[in-house]
Amino acid sequence: MFDTREMAAAERVTNLRLVADKVAPLALARERTMPLLPALTSLFPEGGLRRGSIVATDGVGATSLALAVAAGPSAAGSWTAVVGDPGLGLAAAAESGLVLERMLVIDPNAGQGSDKGAAGVVAALVGAIDVVLVGPGVRIRPADVRRLSARMRERGSVLIRVGAIDEPGVDIGLRIVESEWTGLGVGHGLLRARRVRIETQGRGSAARPRGAAFLLPGPHGEPVALGEPAPEHELRPVLQALA
Amino acid sequence: MAPVRTLVAWCPDWPVVALGRELHESVAVIFANRVIAASPAARQHGVARGLRRRVAQSRCADLDVIERDEAREARSFEPVLAALDDITPRVEVTRPGTCAIAMRGPSRYFGGDEAVADLVRQRMGEALAGRTEIRVGIADGPFAAGLAARAARPTRIIEEGTSPGFLAPMSISVLERPELTDVLVRLGLRSLGSFADLPPADVLARFGDEGRGAHRLASGLEERPPDARLAPPDWSISTEIDPPADRIDRVAFCARTLADDLHQRLEHDGISCVRIAIEAETEYGETLLRLWRHEGALSAAAIADRVRWQLDGWLNGSAATRPSGGIARVTLVPDEIVPAKGRQLGFWGGETEVDERAARVAARLQGQLGADAVMVPERRGGRHPDEQLVLVPAATVELRGRSADERAVDGEVPPWPGQLPAPSPSRVPAKPHAVELTDAAGEMVTVTGRGLASAPPVALVIRGRTVPISGWAGPWPVDERWWDTDDHRRRARFQILTEDGQARLVTLEHGQWWVTALWD
Repeated sequence: MFDTREMAAAERVTNLRLVADKVAPLALARERTMPLLPALTSLFPEGGLRRGSIVATDGVGATSLALAVAAGPSAAGSWTAVVGDPGLGLAAAAESGLVLERMLVIDPNAGQGSDKGAAGVVAALVGAIDVVLVGPGVRIRPADVRRLSARMRERGSVLIRVGAIDEPGVDIGLRIVESEWTGLGVGHGLLRARRVRIETQGRGSAARPRGAAFLLPGPHGEPVALGEPAPEHELRPVLQALA
Repeated sequence: MAPVRTLVAWCPDWPVVALGRELHESVAVIFANRVIAASPAARQHGVARGLRRRVAQSRCADLDVIERDEAREARSFEPVLAALDDITPRVEVTRPGTCAIAMRGPSRYFGGDEAVADLVRQRMGEALAGRTEIRVGIADGPFAAGLAARAARPTRIIEEGTSPGFLAPMSISVLERPELTDVLVRLGLRSLGSFADLPPADVLARFGDEGRGAHRLASGLEERPPDARLAPPDWSISTEIDPPADRIDRVAFCARTLADDLHQRLEHDGISCVRIAIEAETEYGETLLRLWRHEGALSAAAIADRVRWQLDGWLNGSAATRPSGGIARVTLVPDEIVPAKGRQLGFWGGETEVDERAARVAARLQGQLGADAVMVPERRGGRHPDEQLVLVPAATVELRGRSADERAVDGEVPPWPGQLPAPSPSRVPAKPHAVELTDAAGEMVTVTGRGLASAPPVALVIRGRTVPISGWAGPWPVDERWWDTDDHRRRARFQILTEDGQARLVTLEHGQWWVTALWD
């Protein structure tokens, strides 16, 4: 005789496992990412900003690119801290999607008694602030970068460096290789948008180079992905009447 | 059970007095852009609590606006409290400028409420030396006593058992719970008495825990029923400082650790502390005990602040009251505890845990680097990129649930004609650098009074390097604040695109060209 009861039980267990697999939350790499602006997802292997990673931007337009990367998490509720970059264009930050209510601008050299410098300030911010943006003039020693990146992986913050793409520790480097403004003529028009081509370099899952064309900044300051060349009317200068 | 008979002594306008200002000057003390206290002279001009800075200034032209300094308020209140030390050792600081004493012992010892009130007024008066007046109220429970002090000219004693009658005609707004009282007023309940007449069970059912507390206060009872208070096991926690510290920052550092420990223990047991006793002892056995109350629950940082304020006032006080040695021991005793209701932090919008953490790290960095090192952006109006948004110290604003838009008037943002449209430049250097803009003949391009360029610009000379121009537009002249000789600015702006792909905003002012912004 078959022991039908036991077989039924075994079958139920198998079924349960199948269901469990289906309903288990997808806690993979995506779980450990922060959302990006939809336009930028194609540049990142996970389609999001992996927590604990160091992103660097370079080329003409590196600042706008850094702001665009930071804008995704900020819009989703994260705080942003800007360290050592007092000349950052705050209006541009707001236009690219950063939420100014959740933004701190920190001058790491203000304290006379503190010798911690930028690395110390970033270390203090990691964990409490999701996105830390470090300005182009800030130097962080390689030993400090190693210590920082270990701390960041543990706490899940992201560091964005403007213009330090070739330094050690960078997980994803975004380089603007071509850039061309539209909208401004000779004696007429107005800066309207900048067509850029961005190429990535990096380690691990980001090692495969990616490249794509964008408007950065787009006509309203926000980044726009260009699958194919943008329709001409999008790029027409608004103030043609000035000419 | 009747509430504890309490004396409340109140120094009006303390935030102004503590800053060392005279009451006949027009002074307003502000925090997070709102007036929190004003001198009588300023109040005569209509400067009231809660006004925005700009509105307050518009009501009183010679108004002196000063940022709040809570530490200084507490520190300068300490000598006033010390004057009460031989009346009772347990003085509760409700907030700087207001203190409370439990009356049972002193009243018997000195022969009645009136005698104690006179003594308190006399002692505090000596310590204040006429800087402000003192009002004293005695009633059943700290709430009624506080209101009695506000109504006092200069002393008001509400006889035992008559506090509910005293409270009944008062406006409902004295509860200082704006959200609750707003609803109550709309229900037609304008006085404490009419609110107290409601059955407690109905109030609890409709307004929950907060409503019940307010209802109990309005009825002349303690805010929380006595049985809700937990019998405190020994929660006190203390630390020895060896060698004894005579510098305030060392004591504060130890206190901070202690406060963190205490807070963790309380949190672990689901308790929060609304009144704490801080006791400091010197190496020669002198002690200073103060009770501190907080309407919300005292956080670790708030406890550490209070330790600092209390000891600062003691260690750096006058020679007569200063201790003879360093601080050797600090003890924290949670004196009144309530079950932690636990603030539910918002998931989306409102106050979130993320905001809480960010506010904490901002406060820590301010401590390390100085208050001006941590800034937050705020929108202002303006035509130039560096005027549209400015950085203000994070210490002067409330980080949680803040609006960066101070321009909005009734929800509408006024327009700034002449602003450059988006995209905005991503770099706005604090110090613009001087450049030259030249035409085909190598001459400097000028702009006429009618806003016309002398010749099309052909090259931009930056630090001696000549870069050919591939695109340009302008000039867009701006003539700002021409009615004000000091602030008058005349500028002409160009957008310049050079052949290296860089776009810049180049401005002509006083015959000199400047790069004022960059699109990087």
